[in-house]
Order: sequence, then structure tokens, then C-alpha cells
Amino acid sequence: MDTGFGGSSAGLLQRLRPTRVGVADLRDVAERLLPTVAVPGLRAELVQRSGAGSVLLLEEDERTVRIGLAELADDMTRDGVSPTSTGIATALAAWVVRRPVTDRQASLAGVAVLHWADRRQTAVGWRVVVRRGDLALPWTPSPTAGRAEVASTRSTATDRAHDVPLDLRVEGPVALWSHADVPVLATGALVAPERMIDAVAAAGLAIPDMHVVVTPERPVACAERGVAARLAGETPEASVTLPWQALAAVPWV
Amino acid sequence: MPHWLAAEQRVQLAAAVRAALTGRLVHPVAAIHLEDVLTELHVAAARDAVWPASAARVRMATGWDADVLPVRLSTAELDSVLAVPGLPDALRSVLGEVRA
Repeated sequence: MDTGFGGSSAGLLQRLRPTRVGVADLRDVAERLLPTVAVPGLRAELVQRSGAGSVLLLEEDERTVRIGLAELADDMTRDGVSPTSTGIATALAAWVVRRPVTDRQASLAGVAVLHWADRRQTAVGWRVVVRRGDLALPWTPSPTAGRAEVASTRSTATDRAHDVPLDLRVEGPVALWSHADVPVLATGALVAPERMIDAVAAAGLAIPDMHVVVTPERPVACAERGVAARLAGETPEASVTLPWQALAAVPWV
Repeated sequence: MPHWLAAEQRVQLAAAVRAALTGRLVHPVAAIHLEDVLTELHVAAARDAVWPASAARVRMATGWDADVLPVRLSTAELDSVLAVPGLPDALRSVLGEVRA
């Protein structure tokens, strides 16, 4: 599970000279906070083990997350979480929000987007994400999910991506697609590149040989080949440039 | 090396290039380079919209305003711009400095 604690982390100095998040403080916060983070179907509670420390338990559909409070406190310390009651509470709430996406949630609310397919960020692949607030969390099918179920979830998520409202900005020969709140959702438009070509043309820019410049989590840029190469070639940022026809062959990851 | 130009400088550059292109004294090859300069001005803005962090770091380190963007011109494009007669002197100086 992602150990990110959202915006609760302190600055660089705090990470360089971390003040420990105490287990007792974390337990106090957890006892107070966990009953308030409940959403239907989610069981979030502290489990006291004899002879060992307490364990924080999250159960939802087929997913179970267990983590010792001491381990979670260490993770928070490493991440520079402010060891105040408010800092720990914010971090713990963010940790709960980042719990794994269940098969059912992916089936009911998943949206297809492009993520990096490799650690070196040289290729992209489709993933199903589920929105929780301003986050879009990726779904990894559970071991019990059958092949047909996975295919169905991906197909529905692709359909849903058609309907995600995006902002279109035309900057000279470049069309930029972005999502107001959840950046990665901008890549959902790429499930239907012909629609993008039509929408951009309606906005006054004809790009029949549209190439897309994709950096997951960033706005999607579309332009003719030479302009796309200029856009992506003169920046140190990682990106993948594809002709629109190649999007149909991008694999699921 | 990119040229770091404020919004007003980019507007001036685009206006000078457009004026040159609408005249009849530009060599066809130079005209292509000047068209590419106009493209780059748009692309620079698009680049900043997609990947704002790297330019923002430079602006923070230098104290430049938020409208200052890196504009990346090839040698041929820069030569064509510097040959534009109506280029404002201050802008010519800024663009010439990087080449020097």
C-alpha cells in the first residue's frame, strides 16, 4: 500500500531532522479518528494484540490492510509528518484514503487513464483508477478476480473515460487537455482520439495527423508531428509521444 | 540555451516577426525559420502548461516574474529573428546576449 501521507508532510528541514511520531500519540489519534473515517463497507479499527503492539486494520470487500502502529509511526517519521496531533491526524486520514481500490469499486467507478508502464518512464499503459477526493488511485485486480471480470471492469472504465469533463485550451498549434482537480484524468480523453481531433477542430485547430505528448499526471498536449517533437524534445521532462493511431495498441499494465 | 522572455517581450517578438512575414523582403528560407519562431512562442507556453515545475524552479532562484518563460530557438531561427529590421533594440540585445 502507498505510504504517502498526502499534504501532511512537513518541509525539507523536517525530513532532514525528523522529530519522531510517537506510537502512543498515533494510537490516541487513531482511536479518535478511525470512527469518523468510516464509509460504507470499510472497517477501520485498532486491534490490540497481546504481547505485541497494536495493529491498524482496514477491511473492505476482498482487501485487507494490516500495519503495526509502530511501523506506521516510523513511516510517518520518515515521511516528515509533523508529530503534532493535527499533523498525525491529517497523515492518518490521507493513509486511509490511499487504501487499495477494491474490485467492486473499480467495477462501479473505474476510469481508464494512462500511467507509466515502467520505472524509467519510457512507456505508458492503460490503468483503471478510482477517484477519491482529489486523488485517482490505481486498481490492481485481486487474485480472485477472474479474467472476464477484469476485462469487463477495464471495458466499463474505458466507456467512463469518454464522459470525464476536461478543459481544452488551444495554444497556437498545440491543444492542451487538462482536468481541473485530478490531473491524471486528462489522459482519459485518449480512449477516443478521433473525438479529440473533432473537438480541437471545432475549437479552430485542425490536426488530422495528431500526435499526443503524454506525461501521466500532467495535461495532455496534442499537435502535428513536428510541433509535438519540438514540444517534447526541448524539455528534460519524461514524456511519451505517440501518433493518435498508436493509442489503440497501448497495453493495459 | 533558452532565452528567458517575459510576456511583453514575447508579444513584441511575435509582432516583429509577423510584421516581417507580411512584408515582401524576407527570403523564403528565413520566412520558414520565422514561422518556426512563432510556433516556438506558442510551444513555450504549452511546455510551461504541461511541465511547469522546471521553469518555476528557475524563476524562484532568479526572482523572475511568473510570466517569464524559456523560449528555445535554433541558431537558424535566432539568426532570422536578429535579421528582422523592426526588432526592438532591447529585445535584440536580450536575444543577442545569449548567442554571444
